[in-house]
Amino acid sequence: MSENKIVTLAEDEPLNLDGGGSLSKFKTAYTTYGKLNDKKNNSILVCHALTGDQYVASDHPITKKNGWWSMVVGPDKPIDTNKFFVICPNVIGGCMGSTGPKEINPENGKEFATDFPVITIADMVRAQKLLIDYLGIEKIFCVTGGSMGGMLVLEWLSKFPEMVHSAVPIATATNHSAQNIALNELARQSIMADPNWQSGNYYHSDKKPMKGLSVARMAAHISYLSKEALQSKFGRNLQDKNSLDYSFDADFQIESYLRHQGFTFVDRFDANSYLYITRAMDYFDVSSSNNGSLIEAFKNTQSKILCVSFTSDWLYPTSENKKIVKVFNSLGLNVSFIEIETENGHDSFLLDEPKFFEAIKGFVNSTFENL
Amino acid sequence: MSLINENKDFGVIAELIPNNASVIDVGCNDGSLLEYLREYKNIDGRGMEIDQKKVQLCLAKGISVIEGDADTDLYDYPDKLFDYSILTYTLQATKSPKTVMQQLVRISKKAIISFPNFGHWKIGASLLLNRKMPVSKKLSYSWHETPNLHFCTINDFIDLCEELEIKIEKKGDLSNKKLSNFSGKNFLDSYFNEVGLFLVSKD
Repeated sequence: MSENKIVTLAEDEPLNLDGGGSLSKFKTAYTTYGKLNDKKNNSILVCHALTGDQYVASDHPITKKNGWWSMVVGPDKPIDTNKFFVICPNVIGGCMGSTGPKEINPENGKEFATDFPVITIADMVRAQKLLIDYLGIEKIFCVTGGSMGGMLVLEWLSKFPEMVHSAVPIATATNHSAQNIALNELARQSIMADPNWQSGNYYHSDKKPMKGLSVARMAAHISYLSKEALQSKFGRNLQDKNSLDYSFDADFQIESYLRHQGFTFVDRFDANSYLYITRAMDYFDVSSSNNGSLIEAFKNTQSKILCVSFTSDWLYPTSENKKIVKVFNSLGLNVSFIEIETENGHDSFLLDEPKFFEAIKGFVNSTFENL
Repeated sequence: MSLINENKDFGVIAELIPNNASVIDVGCNDGSLLEYLREYKNIDGRGMEIDQKKVQLCLAKGISVIEGDADTDLYDYPDKLFDYSILTYTLQATKSPKTVMQQLVRISKKAIISFPNFGHWKIGASLLLNRKMPVSKKLSYSWHETPNLHFCTINDFIDLCEELEIKIEKKGDLSNKKLSNFSGKNFLDSYFNEVGLFLVSKD
């Protein structure tokens, strides 16, 4: 299992950001698994989702739980680390060691908090590119990720097409719909409405915006599951009781479950990071630097691509993923598409979905054999 | 379906396709035909398949495949993107064979289409003598479970091409592994070819 590593990037030249401003000498925390071969052609870059991090296949230092994709990445797993060199960086703006709002601003020795610049998905990708350069890799064998990770994959395909041999964007979209933005705004408002948020300057305070962040997580969690999954898992079952309490305690199991999801989340995630990363997702539109044309955005892409969606995902539904496929088809690219039937909703890409695993494994292995 | 799984049929189709062509196989099954064409003709191949298990088999072979439906998903491709499109033994299972054929000749310069010939004498005889829907090695489903919606005869197919102003360039005779130029309806073909196979195009 991999140790967490931290590297300082952009030491000579600053990283210019989409929103103006720049970051210099920023940190990227990352993990690697397996070995880079002599030809340096076996690297797989895994991009994490909104609340993910670099602990893709090793135990999380705070929660002590298995890595978020430990079913997919590891020895003899669908992405086999006996064969591939897997790299997973924490995005900039994150809170697990990469430069973000809770890290110290070298210019004044204080936490960035809300002085951290608003960043975009493209900024995150430019930062990842510096890490790949640092690792001495000219061409990544495969870039993959789900949800926001899929957006990073699309941005890689658009911004650095010559560096990507193949790609697997999963359960994602070329931009955020009004519904996606609305859900993120709900989350941000709940954080900022918590008096303990203190305009983002809570790092030295006893009071942290735990309630706001917790409610944000609860709302988001609903969007990760399907109605069917919630119904079959919880229905109207009561939590440790036989009758209603006629109170506002957690009578129903679903309430108790969501509260648990909320308050365990605050131990491992920074509220300001949540604001910055959701903002980056809302701003994301892979066509934006190409006059709104998706065809233009991917015109130099030559990679072999597998797009994956899940039937019960209503956050990034099959229709959004098919839009991506359609663009790649229009360009005559080597694109495959598979829609996995499941009731697990958007979260399916993080769960035990054997057909999904089989698709990824078949794609990466056959693509590697045909290198 | 059993008919096209034999490599000898692949050979007839391969004869129609030049080296290095770009090819889409619609209803590509487990990708065997594309794999065959990749090996012998060095094609740049794509597949479309509705059955997810078969999509998985294609992915494992390194074949680019879209899980999709010929009736609805061919619209996504621009005009004449491919040199060749192939539709083997699938036309009769589509909801609208007419629009599928129109799409095939739109997205590719030439289309290769094969289908079971319902005009074959054995089928006629079976209906005539047994008064039952024919079930044979090549038409292996009972009437109540068949995925086939629109059976046609070789003559029906030729008429439809005429109606759609689709040009038939060549015809194939799979039992004799023979290709020849098309020169109109032919009594022998319509009675004795179990499978209709045609190379068609529309400018």
